[in-house]
Amino acid sequence: MSANTPAEAAPGPPDRDPRERGAAIDGAKLVRERRLNNAKKNWALFRSDVPALLGALVLLFFVVIALAAPLIAPAAMLDVTKQLDAPRYAPPSLEHPLGTDGLGRELWVRILWGARVSILVGVAATVMSMVIGTIMGLAAGHFSGLFGGLIMRVIDFFIVLPSLLLAIVLSSVLERGVFTIVIAIGLTSWASTARIVRSQTLSVESRLYIERARILGAGHRHILFRHLLPAVMPLVLANTTLTVGGAIIAESTLSFLGLGDTSKESWGTILKNSMDVSAATSGYWWYVLTPGIAILLVVLAFTMVGRALEAIINPALRSR
Amino acid sequence: MTDLSFENVSITYRSSSSRGDVAAVREVSLDLPAGTTLGIAGESGSGKSTLIMSALRLLPKSARLDGRVLLGGKDLAQLNFGQIRAVRWSQASIVFQGALHSLNPVREVGRQIIEALEHHSKDTWTSPEKRRARMLELLAEVDLDSAKASAYPHELSGGQKQRIMIAMALACEPDIIIADEPTTALDVIVQKQILSGLAALVADRGISLLMISHDLAVLSAVCAKLAIMRHGRLVEFGPSDEVCLRPRENYTKQLAGAFPQIGDQESRMNPRTLRPAEVTRAQPFTMSDEVVLEAKDVSVSFATKRGTERAVRGVDLSLRRAEILAVVGQSGSGKTTLARALLGLQEVEPGSQVAFQGRALPRKAKALRTFRRQVQMILQDPAGSLNPKRSVYEAVVEGLRVQGIRDDEYARVVGALEAAELTPAGDYLESIPQELSGGQRQRVVIAGALALDPQVLIADEPVASLDASVRGEILSLFLALKQNLGMSALIITHDLGLAWNIADTVAVMKKGQIVEYGEVDSVLENPQHEYTQELLAAVPRLGSQSLVRNE
Repeated sequence: MSANTPAEAAPGPPDRDPRERGAAIDGAKLVRERRLNNAKKNWALFRSDVPALLGALVLLFFVVIALAAPLIAPAAMLDVTKQLDAPRYAPPSLEHPLGTDGLGRELWVRILWGARVSILVGVAATVMSMVIGTIMGLAAGHFSGLFGGLIMRVIDFFIVLPSLLLAIVLSSVLERGVFTIVIAIGLTSWASTARIVRSQTLSVESRLYIERARILGAGHRHILFRHLLPAVMPLVLANTTLTVGGAIIAESTLSFLGLGDTSKESWGTILKNSMDVSAATSGYWWYVLTPGIAILLVVLAFTMVGRALEAIINPALRSR
Repeated sequence: MTDLSFENVSITYRSSSSRGDVAAVREVSLDLPAGTTLGIAGESGSGKSTLIMSALRLLPKSARLDGRVLLGGKDLAQLNFGQIRAVRWSQASIVFQGALHSLNPVREVGRQIIEALEHHSKDTWTSPEKRRARMLELLAEVDLDSAKASAYPHELSGGQKQRIMIAMALACEPDIIIADEPTTALDVIVQKQILSGLAALVADRGISLLMISHDLAVLSAVCAKLAIMRHGRLVEFGPSDEVCLRPRENYTKQLAGAFPQIGDQESRMNPRTLRPAEVTRAQPFTMSDEVVLEAKDVSVSFATKRGTERAVRGVDLSLRRAEILAVVGQSGSGKTTLARALLGLQEVEPGSQVAFQGRALPRKAKALRTFRRQVQMILQDPAGSLNPKRSVYEAVVEGLRVQGIRDDEYARVVGALEAAELTPAGDYLESIPQELSGGQRQRVVIAGALALDPQVLIADEPVASLDASVRGEILSLFLALKQNLGMSALIITHDLGLAWNIADTVAVMKKGQIVEYGEVDSVLENPQHEYTQELLAAVPRLGSQSLVRNE
């Protein structure tokens, strides 16, 4: 938003006094310095929050292993035809750190590869739900009358819809694949974001500076993008990290129900496979616990980071 | 009877921010013997609120108090929690600033008064019936109908809420009442009612009153003695008349002069300030005959649950070039609605006509945008009018960008800031609103309007939320804008002194209608309509404890 200050100030008429122009550019530099200082202050706040820092480390770890999966464990290690000599259902040991599954594949390799899909789906679905939620929330909060009311009813409709059911319907109607899962989760989880964004928009909308902008002659576009969007953005960002966890769980649920892309590893798929062989009752505890704990760790990490971000945005939460 | 005395009190707020420890009150000694009245005047940040909070030990944990606060001869610091609870409300009680926020919005006001009785004097009013009777007695004492007991705070007006607060303070028959800016948000007529109510209580019951305000005239209307505070120190102390009419310190003179006496020719067209705005033209503009903005038979009504409410009824106004017109009235008289209607921000009833330079107000969005370049409005609260995240430059340039004025952006912004007397403009460009004082923020808002080179400026209570010393600066700025640029201004206010200070003409509004309209000198010095006379009579006069002696 505010990056346009230097951009719009710089291309002035050529006959402009160079001293003035120098001052304008200097001004832009000061703005950048102020933002940098703010960022530093926020980073210091974040760093002082131990759980958030731990969460960030856990996230960093999972992201790195997901990205480096092909290097650490070549795809061949997942090929069942090449695991004929490997023991089936081997419990965790030095040789098989997290144990093996019913086809002799190492579980740690499957977790590694599964992280790619699980985290990708979690983040992509969240981004999708945030974009839809922010647009709808802003529109519902800013426009009054028939249009605003109509948007609000749409939001209400998606709130009362059982989201898991809708996701199941969507993923069984659409073509199987990772992208389908992203759409199914994204389309069903934006409504609560829209509600939050709307309430924030309503509160900002009643501030005098919005009225002032209107008096200066501003139209909807100016008010929406110059004042309302920057005001709700921090809230949306904090909400994003909190929602990623939910999206990862939703992805696992859909894969567990067999609605995911069966050709790709994901933590939910591992859980589904373990259920298919009744791992829990047959004593293959590692088969169930390993993906379960991986999901738990990542979701917890996202929540920790999200809570810290929320506290930075809203100082009133800090002492609680 | 209880005496209150501050002995060499200093209060420091510990703070871990870059400002370090903040000394709010420094070595203040004051006495309030039983049955007397004392007013403390000072601007925001002078430490007056901190000082009176220490009288009930209500300071936050981060405050450190040196010296002694004695209530009835006992040192407050020595009391344990039970004892201090007994003191609060039954010996001394507080009427807090801003009654709007001090009442619980989800409980009936009658219940809230009874609550004070339950907590502090269960022994005197032993049964629920007795407490209820006492509550009704209190309502009668502050001149409220007993039916109001079952009202919720939002159903009451500002003055009624303030009276509920006073009833609550009286509940346990305290010896001392401490009032923190009890009338700040109220208009003159309600202010007079509240002040005379307080004064009568003091006279009838022998209660001591400790009142703080930024307005010397308000204090001098009720209090026998006055203390002036600045930067935490006591600047001047003495009998009220002495301090108001023959001040020794320059600072006191400045405070006393901030609110003009209507009829005093020295302050006519000359708001008193240490920093007057410069008039640069050799021949300053004066009011001309050319009409720029004209309203004929303007009416506005709102649909409410109880049917339509007519906020503005058949108003005729005309604003000429280089004229300052003050629209004066109580809160709820429809002044702000009228201003919004003149700007096209408010739907008007059919038959209403608003014309700018002879042409009717446009209705289409694009034409309205062009119209807004010519007529600008300044809202009531400068702190709220600026986006807290955007710098002064961004705030002032906003209008230019919205209007698509792209050339010489930087020069226009600096020019506007300098016209609003924020100099050197370069120093302020990158500040964000929270780094500015109230007066500076108001100048930024004014500069934002000036950047568009408007012909007409409409200002809604431009000085109501500012300190007394800044008030004069901003008013002199309006006067200078008229004289230097030939700008016309319509200023909405409940403050008749403002009209006397800078306006050419004045329109007095009551319940949506204009009851008197004419030149300031004739209307204010020789008011014809009884409502204008009532308004003028309600303006507190400096010195002479006017309200107390009249009753």
